[in-house]
Amino acid sequence: MNAWLVCASLLLVAGLLPVVWGTARGPLGHRVVAQNCGTSVVCLVMLLLAQGYERPAYTDLALVLAVLGPVGTLVFARLLSGELDEEPRWGRAVTALTVAATAPVVIASCAATGPGRAAVKVVFIGVLLAAGNVIASRTLSGAHRNPTETRYD
Amino acid sequence: MRRGRLGATVAEILVWQVALSVLWLVLISTVDPLELFVGLGCALVGAVAAVAARRAVSGR
Repeated sequence: MNAWLVCASLLLVAGLLPVVWGTARGPLGHRVVAQNCGTSVVCLVMLLLAQGYERPAYTDLALVLAVLGPVGTLVFARLLSGELDEEPRWGRAVTALTVAATAPVVIASCAATGPGRAAVKVVFIGVLLAAGNVIASRTLSGAHRNPTETRYD
Repeated sequence: MRRGRLGATVAEILVWQVALSVLWLVLISTVDPLELFVGLGCALVGAVAAVAARRAVSGR
């Protein structure tokens, strides 16, 4: 078990336990934020496992999660716009934490792969994940304000 | 006027195709001519879809 796998295990436990707690309790907006955070955690874990097991194919799983995670949250925000009655309490803090966790993982993966297309791919995944989280968070924090606008489309 | 609009659409598709082809080349594992050919084709399909989607959203 190398340092990458230790980091991946720690991130998995430290990230997914609060996610399970957050999705199981509280108001609806809170739960959507928690599940969005869950996909981000698994994406970062996949990046770490790709290095730990030396299997670049795991990076593709991270790419798929970085695309589908925030998009899934946007679908939730659209479909639940009438029921998201209050702004999620920890939304911004969770997003900031996710983006802050993305940076060291991406930098470490880039340093391990060295310059080349693989490093560009990892940076692309990181940027996609961070931007997707910010967009999803903004949509969720604004979704409770305009349910009437979407209703009368 | 109409000819200029066609030119703008073709230019938009080409820009999308170049961007998507570069993305394809970054994301695949091994670069060879066949992959490049397939990538250019997929990027063209994606470019047409992107232009059509942008038109649909802007309502023109």
